Amino acid sequence: MNRSLVFKIWLFSILIMIFGLIGLYSATFNNVRVPQKIFYDQMIFSLIAILIMWGLSNTDYRKFYDFAYIVYGGNVLFLVLVLLSGRNALGATRWFEVAGFSFQPSEFMKLSLILALGRYYSSRSSNYMFGFYGRIMYVVQFIIVPFLLTAVPMYLIFKQPDLGTAILLFGIFFAMLFINGISYRFIFGFMGLCVLVTPVLWMMMKDYQKARLLVFLNPNIDPLGSGYTIIQSKIAVGSGQIFGKGWFAGTQNQLNFLPERHTDFIFSVIGEEWGFIGCVFMIGCFYMLVRAGLSIAEKVTDKFGVNVTVGIASILALQVVINVGMVMGMFPIVGITLPLVSYGRTSFLTTAIMLGFLLNLSRKRTFAG
Amino acid sequence: MRLKIIRIIITVLFIGVILHLFNAQVIRGKYYHQLSTQNRIRVVPLDGWRGAIRDRNGVVLADNKLAYNLAVTPQDITDVEPLFEFLEQVLDIPSRELMRRYQQNREAPFAPVVLAEDITREKAIVIEENEYRFPSIWVQKTFRRFYPLKNNSAHVLGYVDKVNEDKFENLQEYGYSPQSLVGYLGVEEYYDRYLRGEEGGLQVEVNNRGKQVRLLSIKDAKQGQDIELTIDSSIQGMGAELLQGRVGSVVMMDMESGEILAMVSSPDYDPNVFVNPAFNKIKVDILTDTRGPLINRVVRGTYPPGSVFKIPMAFASLDSKKVSLLTRFNCPGYLEVGGRKFGCTHVHGEQDLMEAIAHSCDVYFYHVGQLLGADMIAYYGKMFGLGRLTGIDLPYEKPGFIPERKMYRLSGKEWYLGNTLNFSIGQGDTLATSLQLARMLSTVALNGAEVQPHVIRSINGSPVSKFNFTRKIKLNPELFTEIKKGLRATVADPTGTAYDLNMPDLYIAGKTGTAQTMRGRESHAWFAGYALGKSRHVSFCVFLEYGGSSQNACILGRQLFERMREKGLI
Repeated sequence: MNRSLVFKIWLFSILIMIFGLIGLYSATFNNVRVPQKIFYDQMIFSLIAILIMWGLSNTDYRKFYDFAYIVYGGNVLFLVLVLLSGRNALGATRWFEVAGFSFQPSEFMKLSLILALGRYYSSRSSNYMFGFYGRIMYVVQFIIVPFLLTAVPMYLIFKQPDLGTAILLFGIFFAMLFINGISYRFIFGFMGLCVLVTPVLWMMMKDYQKARLLVFLNPNIDPLGSGYTIIQSKIAVGSGQIFGKGWFAGTQNQLNFLPERHTDFIFSVIGEEWGFIGCVFMIGCFYMLVRAGLSIAEKVTDKFGVNVTVGIASILALQVVINVGMVMGMFPIVGITLPLVSYGRTSFLTTAIMLGFLLNLSRKRTFAG
Repeated sequence: MRLKIIRIIITVLFIGVILHLFNAQVIRGKYYHQLSTQNRIRVVPLDGWRGAIRDRNGVVLADNKLAYNLAVTPQDITDVEPLFEFLEQVLDIPSRELMRRYQQNREAPFAPVVLAEDITREKAIVIEENEYRFPSIWVQKTFRRFYPLKNNSAHVLGYVDKVNEDKFENLQEYGYSPQSLVGYLGVEEYYDRYLRGEEGGLQVEVNNRGKQVRLLSIKDAKQGQDIELTIDSSIQGMGAELLQGRVGSVVMMDMESGEILAMVSSPDYDPNVFVNPAFNKIKVDILTDTRGPLINRVVRGTYPPGSVFKIPMAFASLDSKKVSLLTRFNCPGYLEVGGRKFGCTHVHGEQDLMEAIAHSCDVYFYHVGQLLGADMIAYYGKMFGLGRLTGIDLPYEKPGFIPERKMYRLSGKEWYLGNTLNFSIGQGDTLATSLQLARMLSTVALNGAEVQPHVIRSINGSPVSKFNFTRKIKLNPELFTEIKKGLRATVADPTGTAYDLNMPDLYIAGKTGTAQTMRGRESHAWFAGYALGKSRHVSFCVFLEYGGSSQNACILGRQLFERMREKGLI
């Protein structure tokens, strides 16, 4: 049982990686804006990712528990540094250059947050307390403090500005809140409150972020900018029909209609060239991967393990759903990558580490149970 | 239980995505397929209008003018040979060259490839008349950057060119495309964000011959913001004329506000060369010229300041109380230290501080330097802004250099007494920019109020006030009064080193500098000073690279002020 889970995770993640590389090869082929070398780059990183997964599956996962807060703190610090360093230079503020490699702390934050919240929740018992004071304590302990843990990096990432990743962090928080058996009363109460403060967030948004949301609601208002991307990627995916146009035969892709097709919009290339069959295959792989993660959560005995697996499974699911939805114009273009497929080193490695944790936890069950 | 709910939610989400895909790819797939094979939607870019740059009197320094580019759309080319023959005839460019450009720039079948930029209006008309024969050709109307005064103020302005790879990495997020023009050097670079217009475009549906059938949408190009500078182009012109054929710089700053009135660096260049590919040869000449015409010597040229450095030295000597106004040293024309002779320009005899400034006596300052020690000298040098960026709103400013003993120690070099002596007269490793020296003189003239030099006056009509601040140097005001007497004597006293600058009814004070260079070459000539005119008070610095005696700088300064007075500018 346990062995089959390990096998499933390996199988589906490697399938996804291979399929992703096939898509990326086509996306960078004869592309004037994006050099082919990023394909080889991604290939090397796939191998590194496999090594990381293998390495992590063999370490003692209680170590992650010990390091959870340190990793979280360090990551937040990096986010602050990124903001500060970006303030002086006129340039993108998401990256960090470390020894020639650019590093994107916001991507890694997803994992750090899962670990930190996992540790936080697992070290507290969620017995409902009685009385007014008890209820307040309960809310503070199980909603307010974890929310603050989420809100700090969320704000920093939002400032970068990277709306997509900020939303993902909130997704993690919500999944954690849910899995830890917090009473629905409080969950919905809290969500209601969040809805109330949305107008405030709207005011805080940068103009171009507002524009993106508005364009999402009505792509025709900006057919040259974001609207253009949505229309073209919709055409690309749709024109793939059932069987796709075939490798290198995607006209939308090969004729340079699609911007950003090697990163956030890689799915449009896959959709166009491999059709509905290819899309279902890839999404199916992701679904099986997420299912495997949730199955592990069912079997893991300690709370930290449950929290981390559920966090990882939900973040993967969310990323896939939002990314594919974005490519097909169901969601606004918020800049979320497709895990293991989009080009981007930090994103790729973060996902690999997450999968390594899943492998590790599925193995640990033998000792616990 | 909760786990199950999560599983259900995720399953539902995935099913939703699949259903949506099914709808798009299977049910509506045919429709999208049709759209994609025809791809009848074209995007025609519209250039943004880059903001104009004016000087303080409203004279236009940088503007745009309409230009015509010739482009061809690859998928509409019917016969290649007649087309290129025709173009060769009209444009006077060999068809092989045109073919090369075509192959190099071709991106997609529907994207027009520019073959010739900035063609004349007449040629554009001839080509448009032949459009019916060659449906692929297209005359694009764009805006081209235009600098009406040519070389005047080139260094302040910079130029515009296509964005290069390094810059593109950083600018991509701000909506720049690889075709965008971006400012390089000068104001064009520093204020690019304001000047830059936003590119817009048309989205058109075309028929199978590539002709527009319907305009789907239009996004207007946005105008950049106009900028007004503190520069006075007429003073710039005078400065450039005087520096003609020489290597050097002139900078003049409004003393109280820090507004730069003139900033001339020679040799200069014509920024128009960079926007027109027809001038590519001249562009290469400029880029490879060993004298560095692109370098703005006022902010980027660092040279030993020579005797101008005696100003902070004088403050140091009095403020540290090592020397009083009555202290006198004898100058026999040299000073022997450690068996080595350190020379002076003349045999000055006995001098006090005021005389030593006016006559620029090295021996006097050798003595002072020995009393102060290198650390103290560095401290006072930095106090007056040397070795530190002035923070002017122009890119790539250099801070110059004030040597420090601890740095020597760290790099394993020995600091000798000889270093201290050289340091005392602004020689050796000491480096400063003209701007730093001009600013230092204004600080002295204002009794220690250090202004912030800047070239921006207003953006889109609203004044920029962020540079209007001063930093106060805390020194006894009496010191300023005394040392200013010395600076005035340099100009007004017939024995002063800058007597050439003594002009009736214009109060000028300052300090000369003749910085020795490597053996066998002429010295650098400096004059940094301030002038209290009727209409304005300015500080300025004249610099001639390998210009010989500082007298040459003084003469140039005098000619400049004479011309300015003729025009009533001071």
